[in-house]
Order: sequence, then C-alpha cells, then structure tokens
Amino acid sequence: MAGRKITVVISQAPGKNPVKRHLEEEIATRLMLSGTAEVSVVPHLYDLTSDHTGMLWLKSLRGNLVVLGWLYPRAIRWVLDRNGVKGKEGSSRLNRLEDADADDQDHPPEEAAESRGIGALDVPNRLIYAIDLRNDSDPEIYIKEIERLADLTSVPLVQLGFGGIQLTAQPENSPATNGAGTSSDSTANGASAHSHNGDTGSVISGIFSNGNSNGANGHAEAPTLPITSPAVIGGGDVRRRWYPVIDYSRCTNCMECIDFCLFGVYGVDHADRILVEEQDNCKKGCPACSRVCPVNAIIFPEHKTPGIAGADGGPVEDFKIDLSKLFGAPSALEMAVLERDQELVADGREAVGTAVGLPKRQTCQPEKARDELDDLMDGLDSLDL
Amino acid sequence: MSEPLVFMMGKFEARIPVDRTYFESHFWAVPHGDVFRVGFTSYAVRLLQDVYFLDWSIDADTQVRKKQSIGEIESSKAVSTMYAPADGHVIRFNEALLNDPSLINADNYDKGWLYEFSTTQPLLSPDEYVKVLEAGWDQTQRLLKNQFNE
Repeated sequence: MAGRKITVVISQAPGKNPVKRHLEEEIATRLMLSGTAEVSVVPHLYDLTSDHTGMLWLKSLRGNLVVLGWLYPRAIRWVLDRNGVKGKEGSSRLNRLEDADADDQDHPPEEAAESRGIGALDVPNRLIYAIDLRNDSDPEIYIKEIERLADLTSVPLVQLGFGGIQLTAQPENSPATNGAGTSSDSTANGASAHSHNGDTGSVISGIFSNGNSNGANGHAEAPTLPITSPAVIGGGDVRRRWYPVIDYSRCTNCMECIDFCLFGVYGVDHADRILVEEQDNCKKGCPACSRVCPVNAIIFPEHKTPGIAGADGGPVEDFKIDLSKLFGAPSALEMAVLERDQELVADGREAVGTAVGLPKRQTCQPEKARDELDDLMDGLDSLDL
Repeated sequence: MSEPLVFMMGKFEARIPVDRTYFESHFWAVPHGDVFRVGFTSYAVRLLQDVYFLDWSIDADTQVRKKQSIGEIESSKAVSTMYAPADGHVIRFNEALLNDPSLINADNYDKGWLYEFSTTQPLLSPDEYVKVLEAGWDQTQRLLKNQFNE
C-alpha cells in the first residue's frame, strides 16, 4: 500500500456551498481511509497569496502532486506556477473526458499554440496533475483516477517509510505531524476540526493506533471516532481576489498586455519575461487584457466565459452554437476597450478609448532580417530632407 | 400591406416585412407611440429555433450604448448574449415573454416583440437589411457548419 501513495491537495471551493464541501470531504476521507494518498486541504487556491500558509505548504511538497480544485486545470497549473509550485503537466483522464466533448479539430492548432509559448522557468522533474472538481459530482470518479495515478507514478523512494512522500517534505510544515503548528491559526475551522487534526494526522502517516500526535494536541480522542476530513491549512476564510494568470505555454512575451493595462498589474522579470507583478492592482471583474492577448494566454479563473477562465478550447457551451457574433457582439478588442474605460472612470480617471496601448498585432510576427530596403530607408532618414 | 421580402436560407424562406426598419444585428424595429418596438427577425429566429430561456441583465428604463450586453437567450440550437442594437434607451421589456418565450417562435413579428427602445441612430430599410443578409450568408453558414443548408 505504501508503495503507491501519492500526494493530493484539495483546494476548497470559495464560499460555503455545502454540496461542494461535501464532495471535497468525501474525497479526502475516502482517500485517507484507503491509504492511497497523503491528503491535505487548502482554501481556494486562486485566493491564496504567496505567503499564505496553504501556499507555503504546497511549496514545501516534493514529488508528484495531484491538485483538485474548482478551476479549470490550466488555471490550477499556472496559479501554482506563479507561486513557485512548479512541475511538468501531468495528464489526467478526467481532464481528457472533459476535452472529449470538444471538437477534435480544435486540438492540432491548440498544440501548435502551446509550442509557440515561452514556457515556464525552472521546472523540476516532477508531475503536477491538476483536476477540475466540476468534472463530476461523484467522489468515486476522483478516487479511481487518483488510485490510477498513484499506481502510475509509484516510485521505490516512497516505500522507505510510512511517511511516504513526506520524507522529502519539510516536517515543520506538515499538518500530519505537527497539527498544532498549522491549525493554531485556523480559528475559522472551529473546535471539532481542530480536535480531529491529530487523528487525521495519524491516518495520513499510516499509523492507525493512537499516535503521539493526539498528545501533542492536548485532546484525548476516543479511538472509535470516525475519520474526518483534514483541517484546512491556514484556515478557511480567505479574502476573494481577482487577477490575471499567465499560461506561459501559450504566452509569446509580445507585451501587448503590459501596453494595454493602465493599472500597473504587469511587469517584467530579470529576464525581461512578462509577469503579473502587482496582482491586487487588478480591477475586480475586468478581463480586458485577456481579450487583447493574441494567443489567449491570460486566464481569469473566475470569469464566467470559459475561454477566459482557462477552458482548453475556448468557449464550451455544450453542443450549442453561439450566435452572439450575429446578434451584435462587440469584438474582443471593442469589449476590452469598453471594460478598461469603465474601470478608468470608476477610478476617477479619464476614459482613453482606443487611444492608448492598442495591440500592434504585427509585433507578434517573427522579425525579418534587415534587407537592402531597410538600409535604404534608414539612409534616407539620416539625410534629414 | 405590401408583400414581404424573402431571403432564402437554404430552402427556408425568411420573410422580411416591408412595414418596418431593421438593425444589422437581426432585429426589426416598428414605431409604437414615440418609441420603437424591437424583436428578432425571421432570420434570427430560424437560427435560434425553439427559444427556451430569455433573461435580461439590465433593468427597464436604462440608457444603453451600442453593443452593450443586455441579456441572454438560449434555444434548442443556440445560446447567445444579446446586445443593444444602437445607442439608445431601453424603456420596457415584453413581460409576456418572461412567462412564455415561445412567443418569439410563434409570432416573432408581433406578439413576440422583445423590448421598447428609443434611439436617434439611423436604421436600415428592408432592402438594406436583405443586402446585409446576402452579404453575411456565407459567413453565417460557416458558423453553423452548413446545418441549415438543407
């Protein structure tokens, strides 16, 4: 059993939807019962700041990782990447199920688009599987897939001890071995989650007797208590956020987003790569930069349009035709300009319309070598006629 | 009343009555008091087919800009956001449709009107609207993957 454990992190749905909570808890407890996975739960991934305990916990994890959340897999992957939780893209069957609905013809251009991107930096040799919990409401679907992934990725290293993958993780961050450290700041979880933490920890570690972690918590738990879902690392209440997430497998570093955004969200890193620098400068609800991006690399995971929220093949509206264009929909660019103006006016600034930062689509084309005509033109310019 | 113009969508005859004006986004407008009543043309309804669901995202008595999103429509074949056809004022919605959107299918040029609207922007004559249809038909068919060209 220990040979096929895999690390699973469940990112909670924002809000308190009981159906979603139930699915999360059901998956967590069943995985723990079966011993398939090391399970932990963090608040809604997208809302976590990079110094949030939940995000620090994710960063501390080593080895292959499955992240389940209420976001498109692309959104999960690139939110993690932005926060330094890096890895190669693992391919889950569940996500392929989702893709199977899309038109097959969509796939070749999509792969082509991916190959044009500048890619992520410093990607370690580990797989991150991102799974959208909106795929299905049946926990069994996820359990089966995680069992399959655990089998697929099992490596001898994991068999070295009952801690499994945690051998390489930093124990001081682990909710399993140090419940007090992580749950002490999670007052929102209430007493019951807190008091079960020790129990949960012992199950995660594969120790089914009453471990010493109970003692550490100072609670005398009855051994017959049912297993409950692990406490939420860093607490359940997190401020909702809104910011763009760049998919570097698509991004060509064309800089149209930084030119278009007038709120100082974007910057560049030391290697002159585009970066979402000041996430919280972004205007809630405004997806304008995503619309001007020529390769659809900018994700707003909470936007209602699937193509903007990170769905793979653009808008997914079952098998129905979208007639919006025929009925007078503005182009993406017109929409972006409208949205930006609205936010400028709301900030007490003047609307700029199409006057500022409009895409220069030709800059995306590969630069041609200088030719004689360029030299001639430069020569003429220098004559200052 | 004069005979309507007809635009052939494959074998389907889309009737374009000549007693009113049009927006290029496939809405008709007919004067009603000092304002226009606006509804889907037969061309639009043929593309939609059976309307299941209609929802307005703005309140009645709202000033709108052209192309501003004002609602959603879902039918057996399609989904679409609806947009203001011009700069103007949406005065009130057809309450009857909120209970029974199928009026759009049953009587799109009369009882199936969508909203009352005032605008000072120029509208298209029936002839001009048919020219818009002719110019756009190839593209529309590509959008629909030829499924109406039976």
